[in-house]
Amino acid sequence: MMRQVYIAGVGLHKFGKFLDKGLKELTRVAVWNAICDASIDPKLIEAAYFANAMAGLITGQEGIRGQVFLRDSGFEGIPIINVEGACASGIIALREAMIAVASGMHDVVLAVGAEKLYLADTARSLQAMRTNTDVETIGKLGFQFTGSYAMTLRKYMKEYCWTQLHFAKVTAKNKYNGSLNPYAQYQRSATVEEILNSQLICWPLTLYMCSTMADGAAAAILSSKKVAHKHGRAQIHISACCLRSGEVGGEDDGQKRVARDAYEKAGLGPEDIEVAEVHDAMAPGEMFRIEKLGFSKPDKVGKLVDEGYFALSGKLPVNTSGGLAARGHPVGATGLAQIAELVWQMRGQAGSRQVKGRSTPYPKVGLAQNSGGYVEGSPAALTVTILKR
Amino acid sequence: MTDIPIIPDSLHVPKSEGDNFYLLGAKCSICSYICFPPKLVCVKCLRNDSMKQIKLSPFGTLETFAVMQIAPPGFTAPYIIGYVRLDDGPLVFTLLTQCEVRDDALEIGEKMELVIEKVGEDENGNNIVGWKFRPAKNG
Repeated sequence: MMRQVYIAGVGLHKFGKFLDKGLKELTRVAVWNAICDASIDPKLIEAAYFANAMAGLITGQEGIRGQVFLRDSGFEGIPIINVEGACASGIIALREAMIAVASGMHDVVLAVGAEKLYLADTARSLQAMRTNTDVETIGKLGFQFTGSYAMTLRKYMKEYCWTQLHFAKVTAKNKYNGSLNPYAQYQRSATVEEILNSQLICWPLTLYMCSTMADGAAAAILSSKKVAHKHGRAQIHISACCLRSGEVGGEDDGQKRVARDAYEKAGLGPEDIEVAEVHDAMAPGEMFRIEKLGFSKPDKVGKLVDEGYFALSGKLPVNTSGGLAARGHPVGATGLAQIAELVWQMRGQAGSRQVKGRSTPYPKVGLAQNSGGYVEGSPAALTVTILKR
Repeated sequence: MTDIPIIPDSLHVPKSEGDNFYLLGAKCSICSYICFPPKLVCVKCLRNDSMKQIKLSPFGTLETFAVMQIAPPGFTAPYIIGYVRLDDGPLVFTLLTQCEVRDDALEIGEKMELVIEKVGEDENGNNIVGWKFRPAKNG
């Protein structure tokens, strides 16, 4: 019998460009923000799961990343497990941490994701980011993640009448949300016109629709029910945290399948979700994530975007943090930043971007979708997490 | 001087006069699943003894594409990337060539044809060859 796992605390280091800060400092700030938030004695932390995607190529620290970067946060002696899954690294770490508590192996564990992409040497960072594909195959053929999003969007545009104007509206919504998030990399809203007129990256994507490089870190402290109760933190638990690898031989490259896994595990459906964070490295990608997660039929997504259905005041607010393009996308930290945003929204601590629940002042059910990498025409790692209050 | 495929085992390189380049795939003798590039294990049956190497059709249809306005090292912008669904089934990531580099020069669903091009040279002066696709109507 698996035990219920609670999110006792969350914390971030602001996302952005911090040329004077390394991974040790980014990690320390996020971890100690989570410790303060959890109000749990840090000596109770029994294990740590450290997510990072690119420190090996960026800093040369290929081995024992967590053991090195967590030492400055004060952690030694406990088991530290290193986790890598490109943009999905953060949720893969969360899932491993959850399993450790659910199984009864540990009572309190730390999941942390940190990434440092800004260097004086930009070419090195760009080279590192290209390794999130099969470097022996499509890595040699001019593949870029912007192009991957553009190609997917082009198919939806043809089949379901999505337009570049819809994409600009989604981006404007997320930029506005980001402008209200003190942890966001880009805290400036933009108009639909500004977004459409920014530099063309690959049609239909313009510069303002795309995430850029970022530095940052995010952490969560997970605990058993008993410990969470004792510290007054038994509010939010992980109802499902599902992981799959992409597939070319199966139905729909795995994205719908992992969503179905999570709904089944949680005993819920898409209609029960009150707030969601989805993986939109290019903001318009939010629209196909919405479709894959079952929030809307594909031919209705455009209309819902026009109606503001996914805005802070809408029926289902999506990417209240600003999403990847506005909040920023420090690869290994992204998934855990999604979790932090859901926790804040569900506790009523999201400040000026706070959304309402359907039957309670704050949402009771939140969903995070995080995926990463690219192998043979499908995302490499696919995750969907559902939190419940 | 020999021709070396950009990705090992992805291309058949002509061995004699009259022989042609073609894409190599593998077909499962049990479930008939076809993959590219060829693999020894079938991902559908999860068997290690059922895949046989085959010649893939040089024709397919354009699933989608993007005109890239920014180029990584070794490429010149603008350039076009796309996915072609081969008539045999596999989805192939590819550069598109022999057409105008504009978003309105191609149409999802149009017929595409394989082109083999030299894409570079190795340190010994051998040609590195890779696959691209062009609109079949431009063939």
